[in-house]
Amino acid sequence: MDLTFIPSVAALTGGGVVAGLAMLARGMGGYGTATRIGDTATSTITSLAAGEVRVSGVVEAAEVTLVSLLQSTICVHYKSTVDTSERSGMEGGLSEERAVGFRVRDSSGTIRVFPREARIDSPLRFDDHTGTLGDEPMGLAIRVGEVFRGAEDDRTAAAELLRVRVSGGSGASLFSGPTGRRVYKEYRLEPGDAVTIVGRALPFGDLDDPTGSDMGTGTDVSLGGDPEIAADLDAARTAGLLKDTPEDAWGNAAIPGFGIGRPVRAPELDPDARPLPVATAEEAAHAERTFEIAPETLVLASSTDVPLLIAYGSPGAAVDRERGRFRLGLFGAILAVASAMGFAIMLGGGLGS
Amino acid sequence: MTPTTYAALFAVGLVVLIAAFMIFSAYNAVIALQQRTDKAWANIDVALKQRFDQLPALVSAVRGLMAFEQGVLTEVTRARAAYAPTQPVPAQAAVSEQTSAAVRTLFATVERYPDIKSAENVASLQAEIERLEGIIADRRELYNDQVYRYNTRIRQSPTNLLASFFGWKPRDFFRATVADTVRPDVSLGSGEPA
Repeated sequence: MDLTFIPSVAALTGGGVVAGLAMLARGMGGYGTATRIGDTATSTITSLAAGEVRVSGVVEAAEVTLVSLLQSTICVHYKSTVDTSERSGMEGGLSEERAVGFRVRDSSGTIRVFPREARIDSPLRFDDHTGTLGDEPMGLAIRVGEVFRGAEDDRTAAAELLRVRVSGGSGASLFSGPTGRRVYKEYRLEPGDAVTIVGRALPFGDLDDPTGSDMGTGTDVSLGGDPEIAADLDAARTAGLLKDTPEDAWGNAAIPGFGIGRPVRAPELDPDARPLPVATAEEAAHAERTFEIAPETLVLASSTDVPLLIAYGSPGAAVDRERGRFRLGLFGAILAVASAMGFAIMLGGGLGS
Repeated sequence: MTPTTYAALFAVGLVVLIAAFMIFSAYNAVIALQQRTDKAWANIDVALKQRFDQLPALVSAVRGLMAFEQGVLTEVTRARAAYAPTQPVPAQAAVSEQTSAAVRTLFATVERYPDIKSAENVASLQAEIERLEGIIADRRELYNDQVYRYNTRIRQSPTNLLASFFGWKPRDFFRATVADTVRPDVSLGSGEPA
């Protein structure tokens, strides 16, 4: 039997099969996620029991927040990507994702979330590209300072909402070439967002590594994952250079409230130094509530058997979104079949005659 | 075989793959629902057990000071004694509701005795039992929600076919009874405040 081969048609139909199968695989993942969210009842935070739970509420910043890469916005998670054309000054674009611990509040109370190894489904907040003359898009405000920022009180956060941002001014510092098209995308989860979380509630004391519970991946991430730093830390631990307790390491600075308010207990000072007033019981309780997490306090984190899923919006909205992905996956299956048929018809000579 | 036959086989294979995925997903989803329902019930059971353990301490703390309210205390003791964790869910739900009603009546009666109410041990026991009552109510709601999802799932198509094959049965709700909505009768007991 004679076979006809047309390269352009083969490439088109082959691409269709691959793309369709990829969409189908993603859709199947979405179906599994939708089932997991939809089949778990929402727990109220104050009556939470250890184990797999679903919590729905509003994101609140904990002690530290992030400043997003592309829009310099306060958030608890961001994923920023810059896709570039060949003529731009960047090779392979840029992708950076970070998350820090935060709290979720429902009508009954709050719970801490440690996002390490979580799958975070944040909304797309910024999607734009450079203009025809290479001018940066409106709304782009590349981060120029620190990535971490201390959590602000409500009044400061409200003032932040009223602030006018000047966009596009600092973009050139990241990208060397003015030519080529760049597509900017930023997904963010911000304080005040509604969120649905499915994960494992466990006592804070049971976390394997509470200090490493944030998440950071990408081209510009300097914390964590660096084998040299990890080796240095291991060597320091082995040599006994790392102290066992914060008090051993930092002295008075480990006392909650010291230097940023009133210390909760009397610090050890030089006899000639003026003693600091010690915090009242109420102030001490507030300071310890802010910075200390009791070992028995339940937190939400990821585990090997129960991966953490953080989805933007109410449970219903999250399920609808994932089901949409599944429907798209079914469309992908149809695309793959149609492409395969097209490929077969081409081979049979149906397109060449 | 012609290329078109291969393409047709590919299409059939894809359909079979999707169907198998749906069946396995449905099976796994039901198993996960059963596990979540069992866990939700176990969490209620923990709170019921904690309340069972706390009630004697509260009754002992107020017994000597409420000599004229023995009927109220007897009702609490009787409801507590009926606690049987091996009973079916509806029976445990009924006992739990009776216990909650008796506890509410006791709390309402304690309100009439300022000396007892202000006693530190009574106040802390009362706060703890009120906390447990709140937890039981929340977890009952969670359990019933989980049972609702499970029962709905095994009645929906195509999971109902799997349910008949594997013998999956609907679960019982931890159902609130009429007693749960009746206001506590504070006239129980014939005595006057001490």
